[in-house]
Amino acid sequence: MTVLELEATGIVKRYGGLLANDRVDLFVERGEIHAIMGENGAGKSTLMSILYGLQRPDEGCVRLRGEEVHFRSALDAIARGMGMVHQAFKLFNSLSVWENIVYGAEPRRGAVIDRRAARRNVANLAERHRLAVDPDAIVGKLSVGVRQRVEVLKALYREAQILILDEPTAVLTPQERDGLFGVIRHLAAEGRTVLFVTHKLHEVMAVTDRVTVLRDGRVVERMKTGETTAREIVRAMTGRSVSLKIEKASAQPGAPLLEAIDVTIASLGGRPLVDKVTLKVRAQEIVGIAGVAGNGQSELVEALVGLRALDGGRVLVGGVDVTGADVAARREAGVAYIPEDRATVGAALGASATDNLAMGFHRRPPLAHGGLIDAAAMASRARALIVKFGVKIASERAPVGSLSGGNLQKVVVARELSHEALVLVAEQPTRGVDVGATEFIHNQLVAERDAGRAVLLVSAELNEILALSDRILVMYEGRILADVPREQANEETLGLLMAGRAPEAA
Amino acid sequence: MSAAPQAGVLRRLRPPSGAIAILFAAIVGGALVFASGENPAEAYAQILVGALAWDNLPNTLNWATPLVGMTLVASIPLRAGMINLGGDGQMVIGGLVAAIIPIYLPGPGPMVATAALLGAAVAAGLYAALAAWGETRHGIPMLISSLMLSYPAVGIASSIVRFPMRDTTTGLPQTALVPEGARLMTLSGPLNVGLILIGAIALLVLFIDRRTVAGFELRMRGTNVRFAGYGGVRLDAQAMRVMFSSGTIAGLVGAIIVLGSQFRFIDDALLTPAYTWSGLMAALLANGEPAGAILAGLFFAALQTGGFAMQRETSVPRVLTMVLQSIVILFLAIRHGVEKVRG
Repeated sequence: MTVLELEATGIVKRYGGLLANDRVDLFVERGEIHAIMGENGAGKSTLMSILYGLQRPDEGCVRLRGEEVHFRSALDAIARGMGMVHQAFKLFNSLSVWENIVYGAEPRRGAVIDRRAARRNVANLAERHRLAVDPDAIVGKLSVGVRQRVEVLKALYREAQILILDEPTAVLTPQERDGLFGVIRHLAAEGRTVLFVTHKLHEVMAVTDRVTVLRDGRVVERMKTGETTAREIVRAMTGRSVSLKIEKASAQPGAPLLEAIDVTIASLGGRPLVDKVTLKVRAQEIVGIAGVAGNGQSELVEALVGLRALDGGRVLVGGVDVTGADVAARREAGVAYIPEDRATVGAALGASATDNLAMGFHRRPPLAHGGLIDAAAMASRARALIVKFGVKIASERAPVGSLSGGNLQKVVVARELSHEALVLVAEQPTRGVDVGATEFIHNQLVAERDAGRAVLLVSAELNEILALSDRILVMYEGRILADVPREQANEETLGLLMAGRAPEAA
Repeated sequence: MSAAPQAGVLRRLRPPSGAIAILFAAIVGGALVFASGENPAEAYAQILVGALAWDNLPNTLNWATPLVGMTLVASIPLRAGMINLGGDGQMVIGGLVAAIIPIYLPGPGPMVATAALLGAAVAAGLYAALAAWGETRHGIPMLISSLMLSYPAVGIASSIVRFPMRDTTTGLPQTALVPEGARLMTLSGPLNVGLILIGAIALLVLFIDRRTVAGFELRMRGTNVRFAGYGGVRLDAQAMRVMFSSGTIAGLVGAIIVLGSQFRFIDDALLTPAYTWSGLMAALLANGEPAGAILAGLFFAALQTGGFAMQRETSVPRVLTMVLQSIVILFLAIRHGVEKVRG
């Protein structure tokens, strides 16, 4: 019998009363690309942090090449050939690529860092793995895709034999993603092992050899990718079958409800963050804004909802000029907003679901009368929304910080949809949300459209844009590069536009 | 490596952390007393008797009135995630205004007293709101500006009572006495209506915090300011209101001391008991939650009056109670830090 590269048996991890990992067994062979799939809260992150030494299991053991290991920290794990690329990069933005890569393991000459050797090593490493990157570039100035390469190189520089990639494609263009897959395949061919944590089915199908599916902290399925289908994986993840395609009728757009005219947001020197953007979203229409993160989408959305002052241009909601109005006045005029960052903007994690669901409704009847809060009305409204949106939460009094990503997003979506506002701005509405909740949220967005509202969808996820939008705008470096009807859009043309290619061929 | 099990112990000790902090402080303080050759049991008994015996209770309440007032001053902004370090300056402004109005304003006593209290509250409130204005309009952090604004207020008040308004009969840096009619009504012993006023304000703060829209928005801002802004809370106006309210109470505390016990504004007299800082500690203990803050304020007041009794009756110096207070704070701060690290 061959010795497994990595073997975890009977892993148990409890957080208070919650069983995050319940006797999880994981078997990974050398040189394979192994997907770890599961919905949010299924225990993927916990398992990965145990393997990488960030957490210690309450029970169970981890074997590396047959030898039992007890990592006390990530440094132990790194020393034994583990590498991890986190979702949020852990890089020094003001330092150069080579400095980031050799940090903590610098080649020395006496007491000083041997810069020349360090640069040379980094350049050689990059070349060997075909990860094109300039060793002298400042990390903060690189695109997200290139920063990720730096993270991979960092792990390889420390001679990682097992590389854990946590949701690595969330921030990439399709082209960058394909580039990453090339790298992953190359690493596997070299005999390295890749653990690929993801929600995305097509990526699992495209690049992995085997899949381990977690649900509720347990392993529910182990499959060879070649012998399974996306549908089967989804069924294993959710415990039910989920439709992967969104049913929706063709749009019958009406009057424009949200208009931006020459909206401009300056930056401190240099190119404006948002450069004279003009767009219109009409009633019964979903307009998608595609683009790689960081091309002005967030700033544009903040300008539309009133969280950021404009440096030029106008914003109209339902035909009324709201350019100078603050958030409260715009909400009054009919704007609901599902923000990109649900944990720091869309919710108060330390506050109860009741409080979170009341925000924005707390000044008017039925929740408030003459400046006094009606606590009973607040609680019963929260209970009703929790049931209606299927939020898994112990009680409406529980703080929402305890919820999984998908459930927290349901709280945000429930609150914003219950405004029944003219305009719904949905920003990355399913980022980090599991398949089941994604399906639910997508259906809700389509229902909003069919109810006659204008929906502006901003997403870095092309599949989402393609599945939901009636019209697609592509944003690049602060400008709208193209306005494409859904029928004429496909992943390839949009991908090129997202990378800034002019639309001549599109 | 030994840090982890220790943290585990602290974590398990969590539920009645305030009580445990106090117990821990009592043990450490007791050890200190014992080491200096005194009897800890005797010292603690004297603190208890000094603070809570029927005859001494008025003293404790008299001490608690300004301290709980200043606790509210700190806890209201803290509840919203802001901090007002300018309590000293605001209290002094309130005290000075409360001394000036009765000296110059003729009229029936109760009306003059009311005018003095209101004038003190509004003046101090506006002064506190200045710090909020500086932050929302000019980006000057309130943490710094509220503290910095204290110094000119204290300095100007001091110069006013040293020169233009100096009491010529005593020659000390203090104003003339306020007319008797404008003084706060005495309840019993050292207690005056100021106690009732602060009690009513405490109840009002609790009510606003628990039951009103403004209280809801205050708590939400304290939990996550970006969420509050996203939800449509007008943050700048809120900051001004919060600081104004906080300053108002500080001004009232100054006025109550001047009109209720000292009957004149005496340079430095408002600041030497350090009510602002004890109040801030009490508010921090409860993380701004008003009920807890008020209880902590009462506890500190009891500790301090008990300390006077202990010093009289034993040879243990009163400073022990400050040590106890500091240990309680330190213990809770450590626990807070441990929780943060453990996530």
